Amino acid sequence: MSQDGNTVSRRRFLSAAGTAAATAALAGCSGTSDTETTTEENTGGGGEDTTAEEGGSDGDDGGSPKVLRYGRGSHSPTLDFQNSTSGEVAKVTEQLYDTLINFEPGKSTLTQGLATEYSLDGKTASIKLREGVKFHNGEEFTAQDFVATYRRFVDSDYEHYAGDDYVSAYGPFTLGAWIDEIQVDGDYSMTIQLTQTYAPFLRNLAMFAAAVHSKAAIEEYGTELNKNPVGTGPFQLSNLDDANELIRLEANPDYWGDGPDVDEVVFVTIGQNSTRAQSLASGELDIIDGLGAQSSIQIENASNAELARTEGINIGYMAFNMASREEFRDKRVRQAVSYAINTEAIVNEIYSGFATQASQPLPPNVLGHNDSLDPYPYDPEKAKSLLEEAGYGDGFTFELATFQNPRGYNPSPIQTAETVASNLGDVGITVEINQQSFGPFLEYTAQGRHDACFLGWYTDNADPDNFMYVLLHPQVEDDKLTEGQDWVSFDTEGYNTSNRSGWANKEYMDLVEQGQSSYDDAEREELYKEANQLAHDEAPWVYLDYAEELRGVSKRVSGFKPAAISGPYLNLVSLN
Amino acid sequence: MISSRFVLKRLLLLVPVLVGVASLVFSILHLSPGDPALTIAGERASEEFVKQVEESLGLNDPIWVQYGRFIADAAQFQFGESFIIQRNTTVREVLVNKLPVTLELAIYGQLIGVFLGIPLGILSAVKQDSITDHLTRIGALAGISVPIFWSGPLLILLFAQVLGVLPTSGRISVLYNVEAIRVTGLVTVDTLIAGEWDMFVSAVRHMILPASVIGVYSMALISRMMRSSMLEVIRQDYIRTARAKGQGAKITVLKHGFRNAMIPVITVIGIQFGGLLGGAVLTETVFAIGGIGTLLVEAIKVGDYPIVQGTVLTFAFLFTLVNLGVDITYSILDPRIEQ
Repeated sequence: MSQDGNTVSRRRFLSAAGTAAATAALAGCSGTSDTETTTEENTGGGGEDTTAEEGGSDGDDGGSPKVLRYGRGSHSPTLDFQNSTSGEVAKVTEQLYDTLINFEPGKSTLTQGLATEYSLDGKTASIKLREGVKFHNGEEFTAQDFVATYRRFVDSDYEHYAGDDYVSAYGPFTLGAWIDEIQVDGDYSMTIQLTQTYAPFLRNLAMFAAAVHSKAAIEEYGTELNKNPVGTGPFQLSNLDDANELIRLEANPDYWGDGPDVDEVVFVTIGQNSTRAQSLASGELDIIDGLGAQSSIQIENASNAELARTEGINIGYMAFNMASREEFRDKRVRQAVSYAINTEAIVNEIYSGFATQASQPLPPNVLGHNDSLDPYPYDPEKAKSLLEEAGYGDGFTFELATFQNPRGYNPSPIQTAETVASNLGDVGITVEINQQSFGPFLEYTAQGRHDACFLGWYTDNADPDNFMYVLLHPQVEDDKLTEGQDWVSFDTEGYNTSNRSGWANKEYMDLVEQGQSSYDDAEREELYKEANQLAHDEAPWVYLDYAEELRGVSKRVSGFKPAAISGPYLNLVSLN
Repeated sequence: MISSRFVLKRLLLLVPVLVGVASLVFSILHLSPGDPALTIAGERASEEFVKQVEESLGLNDPIWVQYGRFIADAAQFQFGESFIIQRNTTVREVLVNKLPVTLELAIYGQLIGVFLGIPLGILSAVKQDSITDHLTRIGALAGISVPIFWSGPLLILLFAQVLGVLPTSGRISVLYNVEAIRVTGLVTVDTLIAGEWDMFVSAVRHMILPASVIGVYSMALISRMMRSSMLEVIRQDYIRTARAKGQGAKITVLKHGFRNAMIPVITVIGIQFGGLLGGAVLTETVFAIGGIGTLLVEAIKVGDYPIVQGTVLTFAFLFTLVNLGVDITYSILDPRIEQ
């Protein structure tokens, strides 16, 4: 065995290893576009904190591009709004695409988008489209684009249908279920025939999932559109970097609407809330979202950033499953539990005051929220007497199913569950906490296997129907209901499993059905106020909280409005 | 000499290992609660829609059909498309993106560990029971005991927040478009290839903290192993003979002792490196470096079966390869070791 032989084999081994690594790496070399080479120009500029980064590079000289860095908790699984229901996806597609109708930035009222006129009358929506709008590929936007977009989403007969394993549930949920047919009259006018009178329809058109693809791009890319977005929005894709979980957008110079004021936007993924907040504090990011209580306090203490807060359009609740537990079929028991749980303490102590106590299914700032209702006060004595009255003075035991990971409307589910258990223990009710991760939890509770469960909802379209009908209406045929009984089994045909309480109150159902089909806002408001009063009194849920929307914003950013629905409106943001 | 028969035999042994791992992963995934179709469809989906998704992904097929399909695909290193994490993207593509991220971190972390750990270990052994030895051993013990989820944020706080000299997270300043110059996927290498000096500096600055955190841990393990192994070796007869023949202490240790003392150390380095390839989940999480580790954790959380399967198998494959490398290195270090 010669020394030489060893040397050679060692070298051969190393070179073999090197080749293997290089091969693996070459395989990874995806075709990047040569137009996107990074130059000296887009480095160091935009005033990135000079101490923390690139030490003393050119800073704020007027010539360098203004880059807005938006930090969030997870990367987009897709760039196509038809490919996912995820809010993470929406944050980016909102920059790339437009909808026919928009939400006013930071509000829940509607305003013009790609449509300049829109109205709903009976089962007919009439829409006039904006002229002279261009897609990022240079094509002119017309009604044909909307039709192709719609068909790609819900019409399996369409040649360019994106496929059952591709389209998101928003296809049928917000559009397909309501649209009968679309008639196009010229390039800039169309009428949409609905399957029934449906008041929230125009709001559905304002959702991110109802944005408009370019027909030419649909035909060109097919499902590859999820990496090659072509929209009409204020920004266009410059680079999707899945390896580093970055998405780079550049300003669309031909944008028809307001802005954009920055040259580039980079979406940055930082999973840990605390690291994300630190990156903002050290000047490496400009805007961040997905904050918990602790990271919000971190930002409040940072010198170069501020915490932007706004009321959210969401609700966190605990649902009683009336279908599974006889005790919960008695309204007095549900009320007793509502009195016995100290929601004020939950909101102020566990959620650190970044949420408000809830009083009804519908959050504030949505049509029909009933201001005269107060949250159930914490009153264990009253709870005890109600239980006594209902014949459960000795208490009973029930299972409380909860998810483990924080959700916006319930940032500390386990701690909340423990508080509920201890509160109810004081009035003689034993709570067994059953914690699961979110996916299995959803499945378990959708099958109605829980006694009670935590859950919550973020609005899709800021319409009362999106809470009242979607979450508390059983949606079964009338003949499936039993006279004099205000609940149905989860096994009932067509049952709406989003209603986790099995509640089927005929009076409530009538009110929200009328609300769904009335187009008169004043009338709808009254109907929903009444429905909320009923839901408050009947207490199918314990109303826990409405969570605030929290964003961390660097002081170099101006014009940023945190929005409870749609957004972020990065086209309105400028950098100082 | 490394016989090619030995390598071939070891490579063939990969097959049962991988089939075993594949079957295990498959059964664990399918036995655990949670329906991926439901996760994909989301809270807004009707029952009918969930069924549609289930059908289109073949999740409603009998379990053995799914298993057969999975094994047949896996044999060609195909794991289908990601359900959730990167919608309608092949797992292969996802891995090709993510693997270099982890690889880079592992390489630098391990380099720090090796280049600090080995000298420290030797020093410690040669100067046994001296103050140097005690300090090194205390340092090593601390390096192993301090958890990364504590030291990581603390380092960020110190270097990024208080001193403001290093960035908090990521692999390179987000202002740089590193995807456009991607060749290997290792940012420190790609930036050099492209000749972008500023970018290279940024990449290195971003690498310092996470690589150090991993490096310190590796260093601790390696130096402890090096010390005890070296102590054993320098007491052997042939070392004494060498010294008796008049050879200097340094030469004796470094030339005659080192090589033999390296064998157990190489084992530790190999296992450590293999482990790092599976993802330094904590480090990746703390420093927001989305590598294989975080990918796997996320995929398990949301039930992205194809990603879980693909990642675990790739990991098993790499780990076995690294161990093969270790075995080969043994025979280079000590030709007496029989293959």
